[in-house]
Amino acid sequence: MDHNWGYVAAGFTITFVTLAAYSGWLWQRLRRTRRSLADEGD
Amino acid sequence: MTLKWLTGLTVVSLAVTVVLALVVAPADAVQGDAYRLMYLHVPTAWLAYLAFFVTAVASALWLWPRTRSTTWDLLAGASAEVGVIFTGLCLAMGSFWGRPIWGTWWEWDARVTTTAVLFFLYLGYLALRRTGVTAAERGKRCAIAALIAFADVPVVHFSVTWWETLHQDATVFNPKLDVHFEGFWMPFTLVFAVFAFTLLYATLVTARLQLAELEEGKEERELERAIERRVRVPAEQVPV
Amino acid sequence: MSILRSSLLVAGKDLRIERRSRVAMQQVLPFGAIVLVLFAFALDPDRGLLSRVAPGLFWTAVLLAALLAVGRAFAVEEGNAARDGLRLSGLDGIAIFFGKAVAIVVELAVLEVVLGLGVVVLYDVEVHGLLLIVAAAIPATIGLAATGTVYGVLGLGVRARETLVPLLVLPAVTPVMLGGTQAFDAALDGRPGDGWPWVQLLWAFALLVVTLGALAFGPLLEES
Repeated sequence: MDHNWGYVAAGFTITFVTLAAYSGWLWQRLRRTRRSLADEGD
Repeated sequence: MTLKWLTGLTVVSLAVTVVLALVVAPADAVQGDAYRLMYLHVPTAWLAYLAFFVTAVASALWLWPRTRSTTWDLLAGASAEVGVIFTGLCLAMGSFWGRPIWGTWWEWDARVTTTAVLFFLYLGYLALRRTGVTAAERGKRCAIAALIAFADVPVVHFSVTWWETLHQDATVFNPKLDVHFEGFWMPFTLVFAVFAFTLLYATLVTARLQLAELEEGKEERELERAIERRVRVPAEQVPV
Repeated sequence: MSILRSSLLVAGKDLRIERRSRVAMQQVLPFGAIVLVLFAFALDPDRGLLSRVAPGLFWTAVLLAALLAVGRAFAVEEGNAARDGLRLSGLDGIAIFFGKAVAIVVELAVLEVVLGLGVVVLYDVEVHGLLLIVAAAIPATIGLAATGTVYGVLGLGVRARETLVPLLVLPAVTPVMLGGTQAFDAALDGRPGDGWPWVQLLWAFALLVVTLGALAFGPLLEES
């Protein structure tokens, strides 16, 4: 059954890459928006 | 500060989950190692449904005049966005598991089909969210759309389940080859995985909600400031 | 004015517009017919395949054409401040909902009869169980029209309405697709016993959407 490790690896990789990408986008947008809001106060 | 703690805890839990799922949990007697995708498929499924439940509740709270608050509307949107991602992952993991086990990338059984319809229902909801300019415009439309979709899901599930009984082939491969989580490490890993993904859901929704609240009214404020700046310009400088 | 009279007023208005502009007859109907032809191109017309999958193809064609009919039903409210007229008319939101839905039901009924004939002719289908077919078509059409009406008003005044409303409607009417196809299948196959439960499901769906739609229509119209 070892040949199925390919599917497992693919599945886990896709999952965590997707989650990392989404999180990354979120955190980057949060930082940028907080910064621009700080500028707004001027 | 809570978000930082939550994020840290989530990352640690997910890391532990991966180790448990790939290394510690033993191989399945029937399905070998392919079943390990269940440690992703089951939690994402549970959270997809939770996410849409949260969207429905938040939508109802927004619609009810006494509890109306923009936060509910933004929470509904945030939860739906995270929910769609989990639903997509759930379908993908089911597919990757199904290929070696069923022999196909897809099976038109009740659970998979209902999940697919759910995916499209909420994709439409997300598209709807992006069309409103003001909070008021967006709120009512989206809240009603979310509740209709939520009410529709049981009917869809029921009709698809019924439909499935009609076309199940008597093949050697039983499409419902459910995994049996026996012993200690298999069920423990599954429960831990669900716990880790629940933390992940909480983290992502909290962050997404924060982002939405910060961005709320940004466009309106920018417009106000542009108008204000124009108003302050002296008469001689205004282009004729 | 009672809800019934108000609804008939609105339905009458929509159907009168249709009689004058003939959009449903001259555009939506041919569209449905063309979809039937497309299916013949897509599938094998020879080995009896078309007649076997005729129920599904029928309902797919009806569904796609219904999207156009719904789009049209609300496009007529976009010009000449018709939306404002509707809002200021003092008519109950529930009545407007029923009126618009009834008009769509009428148009879909005509569409289904014509496409039904088309399927019989083009796909070489033997008609059995006509009672079951009609009994299933009624709640299916009501469910379709009601879903289209509520999502249609939801899309009023929204950008990208023409692509958004279909995206919202199609997943939501899955039960109609399944129920209609299975009921028709049972009827044509000569096993009506299998079909009647689906008719019940179609009625359950229709009732659900009509109720939700009637409640939501007024508030949504105000918002648009």
